Amino acid sequence: MPEFSSQPFVDIARRLDVRGGHSWLAVLSPPTDSAVALDALQTELRSFLQVPTRVLSLETLTFEELLEAMQQPSDDVVVLAAGADLAPDTWSSLDLMRSALERTGPTVLWMAPDAVARLTEFAPNIRSFIGPSIYIAGPDGGLMGEAERQHRLKELEQHYGLSSEEIVRRAESKELPPEPHFVEWLILLGRGDLV
Amino acid sequence: MTVERARKRAEALDSKAHLEIGKLRFGPPHRVFSEIRAYLFRRSEEMDARNNPTQLLKLRQANGIALIALGPTIDKGPSPEHFQFDSGARLSFGLTLRELDRGSQLVSFRYHYHLPESRSPEFFRFDLNEKPHEDPLSEPRCHLHPGLEDVRIPLPLHDPFDVLDRIFFVLEEGL
Repeated sequence: MPEFSSQPFVDIARRLDVRGGHSWLAVLSPPTDSAVALDALQTELRSFLQVPTRVLSLETLTFEELLEAMQQPSDDVVVLAAGADLAPDTWSSLDLMRSALERTGPTVLWMAPDAVARLTEFAPNIRSFIGPSIYIAGPDGGLMGEAERQHRLKELEQHYGLSSEEIVRRAESKELPPEPHFVEWLILLGRGDLV
Repeated sequence: MTVERARKRAEALDSKAHLEIGKLRFGPPHRVFSEIRAYLFRRSEEMDARNNPTQLLKLRQANGIALIALGPTIDKGPSPEHFQFDSGARLSFGLTLRELDRGSQLVSFRYHYHLPESRSPEFFRFDLNEKPHEDPLSEPRCHLHPGLEDVRIPLPLHDPFDVLDRIFFVLEEGL
């Protein structure tokens, strides 16, 4: 399998946004938690492109159903989900109906990494729609790391001249002021249960 | 007219705001995070100042409650972690949400828009407290600090995106 670059979903959504409608790209699903990743991809596509996003399964829809779903509507974002087991015959049939798959909205092919070889062999025209735009689902990068969590806690302790233990004690006895900083403080401590 | 009467009116106003805030529903925190990031990317594309929302915006989520944060928790001067504006102003914020019925509910927010040096007032901060204060005249649940830490003006903007709209399209445009 050729080397593909790893891209966070937010960057994939930005690429589609820049390219506008009619564009195709493929995203290789991660080996685990694929359903969670697909949900995250949909979230980013919706947020960035500000249009509805639908997932269509290439394994369960008939060709007639697929064609209808691709065109009605044709201007939203469609994610075509192809598992590793999608049969060569199905890929070939999809390739033959490629013109009917063209639409005004963007199309994302969500594939298991193992499916790239079959796409290339049995659906060369769809492969050409996609061109070099095949990306590996990459880490999002938005999660707050431990170092940053500690830094923020230190900032709060210095600013208010109070320890985190004291904040927990005051929260438990319902003595904390209602200001936003104290809510953040408890969340940073993993004590959101006290909010 | 007495201060007691003013307090009564402030209580009524705060109760109304509290009810409205309680009714607001948003998507799950990761979706709100994604929408804010997309919003910041859009604004960044319209500006000369360089910002990378992917690096600036952070999410922490545990026990059914989430923090979406950008920039330092305490503003102690310009930093690379702030969102920078063309005017030289800077933004930091913290938004907290409680997961609820496959969506979320607002808990609190603080949006600190710090004007460029030598401009007055020094800052505007939009705050939503977690709960009503015992004296809503001096501290309404949702309020604006007009550059003074001890002055809080009631704020009818409860949606985090409405606050961002005012910062980007009103305050920044007005400088």
